[in-house]
Amino acid sequence: MAAFVARRTAAGAFLVLVISFLSYTLLSIPDLDVGRQLLGQNAAQELVDAKNAELGLDRPALVQYLDWLAHAVRGDLGTSWFTSEDVLQAIANRLPVTLSLMVGVTLLTAVVSFLLGVWAGVRRGAVDRFVQIFSVIGYALPNFLVTLVLVLVFAVHLRWFPAIGYVGLGESFPGWLSTIALPVTALSVGAVAGVAQQVRSSVIEVLRQDYVRTLRARGLPPSRIVFRHVLRNASAPALAVLGMQFVGLLGGAVLVEQIFGLPGIGSMTVTYTTRGDIPIIMALVMLTVIGVIAINLVVDILIGWLNPKGRIA
Amino acid sequence: MNKSARVVPATAALLVAASLLAGCADDPGGGAAAPASATLNVATMTLPQSLDPKDANGSAMPFFQAVYDTLIKREPDGTYSPMLATEWKYDDKRTELSLTLRGDVKFDDGTPFDAEAVKANMERFREGGGGQAKTLDDVKSIKVVDPTHVTLVLSRPNPALLYYLSDAAGLMANPKDFAKGEALKTKPGGTGPYELDPGQTVIGTKWVFKRAASYWGARLPYDTIAISYFDNETAIVNGIKTGQLNAALIQDADQQISVESDPKVKTVKQEFDFQGVFLFDRAGVVTPELRDPRVRQALNHAIDRQTMLAKIRQGRGVVTSQVFGPATAAYKPELDTYYTFDQAKARALLKEAGHESGFTLKLPRIPAIVSDALAASLQSDLGAVGVKLVWDNLDPGSAVQRIFRDRAYSAMVMNMGQPSADWVAIGEAVLPGAFNMFGYTDDTVKKLLPAIQGRPAQEAAADLEALNEHLVREGWFMPFYRMTYLHVSDGSVTIKPQDGMAVPAIYNYAPAR
Repeated sequence: MAAFVARRTAAGAFLVLVISFLSYTLLSIPDLDVGRQLLGQNAAQELVDAKNAELGLDRPALVQYLDWLAHAVRGDLGTSWFTSEDVLQAIANRLPVTLSLMVGVTLLTAVVSFLLGVWAGVRRGAVDRFVQIFSVIGYALPNFLVTLVLVLVFAVHLRWFPAIGYVGLGESFPGWLSTIALPVTALSVGAVAGVAQQVRSSVIEVLRQDYVRTLRARGLPPSRIVFRHVLRNASAPALAVLGMQFVGLLGGAVLVEQIFGLPGIGSMTVTYTTRGDIPIIMALVMLTVIGVIAINLVVDILIGWLNPKGRIA
Repeated sequence: MNKSARVVPATAALLVAASLLAGCADDPGGGAAAPASATLNVATMTLPQSLDPKDANGSAMPFFQAVYDTLIKREPDGTYSPMLATEWKYDDKRTELSLTLRGDVKFDDGTPFDAEAVKANMERFREGGGGQAKTLDDVKSIKVVDPTHVTLVLSRPNPALLYYLSDAAGLMANPKDFAKGEALKTKPGGTGPYELDPGQTVIGTKWVFKRAASYWGARLPYDTIAISYFDNETAIVNGIKTGQLNAALIQDADQQISVESDPKVKTVKQEFDFQGVFLFDRAGVVTPELRDPRVRQALNHAIDRQTMLAKIRQGRGVVTSQVFGPATAAYKPELDTYYTFDQAKARALLKEAGHESGFTLKLPRIPAIVSDALAASLQSDLGAVGVKLVWDNLDPGSAVQRIFRDRAYSAMVMNMGQPSADWVAIGEAVLPGAFNMFGYTDDTVKKLLPAIQGRPAQEAAADLEALNEHLVREGWFMPFYRMTYLHVSDGSVTIKPQDGMAVPAIYNYAPAR
């Protein structure tokens, strides 16, 4: 296991390096004219050139990248060109918001979709059809529509939840819960639909196995068969889907954070990327890449732990 | 050992641990706290580049007004009143402006505000490379007479100088901070009515300003002002409706309709930005056809402004053919309707100019400014008179470079503010510069400008009107309409629109009674 983790970590570090180089190169291709954006459209060209030189943008892209890399490996990710905030601080301020969302959605999705999936897989019949229909609807509903309807109904009209903003978990637990409840629900609808389907089909598949028939023949109580034997074998593919959903949530978080006015990584990505704030964009890319690698590693370890057949190395 | 029974609780424990970890960091803020009576929560869609006065620009001004004072205060109606300067006077030639300063004002650290501070600030602003640095281009030198008197010596008269001193160029920071490198960018040090609260501020998200204990001037009604950044108006409208935000500016017509549907919400209308095409290429460098004024007049007659206003802005605005706003001396109400929708006349003008078979006009398109409806509408109106409009889709980043550095286009659709000071408007639209990038001028403009420049706007009103009329008649621009913006509050605040700015000054909010 240690060798596996070490190998994956080394591969991950290499991947981070390659992606950082590619990202920086890609960011340098379009001439974003950051100086012009900073100074406004009516600034004189000499001032714009001076600003670009001040930011080091007059140097070749490779030199800029190596300079960035040399600072980054020492933990210095620079300051934002557009707001002068320290990049690490900016991310540290916003990461808890997005993590709250992602963890909340994953937790809710895991619980609800496992319950629905097992229920449908074991009971079949009308229950199964209900879960199937729910899944199709949940999958088909556009994320933004669900989000807008939730805000209008539960925040603007009923006033059960705040319509915008975020309260830190450290500041107030009820406050935190109330600010993330609607965004988490909005993001979970599609996720639950996908994972519940996966759990359902895995459960049905495992229930058909010979060993399950043997267990039944030996007179084990059905609940014990389902929770001890079936679920354990059926959860590996569902966990893999859940892991992928977790990563994919970053994309969904962009929209939900914008509509709920949540100061998270998602809305930050949009705001800073469109301006070409390279220090921030690079940090966000690194954060995402490292996050994806780490989550995949955790999922692989979890799957191996659940089911020895799935262990790699 | 029963392993599978452990799975769910263990996974759950992991996730809970992660969520606890997530919450351990400091509160990232977010503008959600319930509004206390002493706190004003304002929404903004502007990210200030920093809080250093040399970076102050346009709609970021409220951030600066909280922590800094300007030499002169610009009232909501555009008149000037004393702030750090108590009196100001021009000499006869209008090339020397003498300012009398308050003698009782101190910066946060106790450093007195004096004439040396004014000199240091203005010289730094002029050389600082910020977006507004050029506004002090005409200031040749700054002479310190004594601690409370300073004289600005100009290389030529500048009728907009008082305006600039009530804006970014007039912001006064503590000169002691100048030596500290980048300090002012995130730790502003001024004499203003508020201080930035670093504990509650999350730069890029929410800025919290607390009342300065020993402010020299008039006490503003709120103990705390929190400005939260949003990147879309949907969130702002929802925040206003639920009272989580107290005040905001709504530009989008559909969002205006949405917010007005709430009976509790109070609104004030303001016309500030106008939308239209800036025909930069009057010399015909890129599009030779545009050299002929008849062609530019034809373009103006070809577009159906009323329908555009109705379809694109839901009628929220006023059609116009002039770039000067109603608050200027140059403004003439009758020029708003100078160009009627008359495509037969447009075709006749094109024929007269020898372009009966039409020509192709390529314009850059930035989706944030040119909506699908606007793009289609212009294309069909101009197409009807034989002008083939081709849109070049650009992302905002490369757009500025292609338009302003490469000068690749002969014209551009823009949303532009209408300052009340005539000379500010002239500087932006008429004088050679970013929005007159080919440096075009003509004899009438050359004759009128010196007469306008040497006098206050009120005295030069006749020349200003003549200039405006000339620009309209010659088709320098192709304005569509002035757009109505909506200042909205959750009902707890009264908002006074600010002259010369789309966003209200920090002084313009008061609790509603």
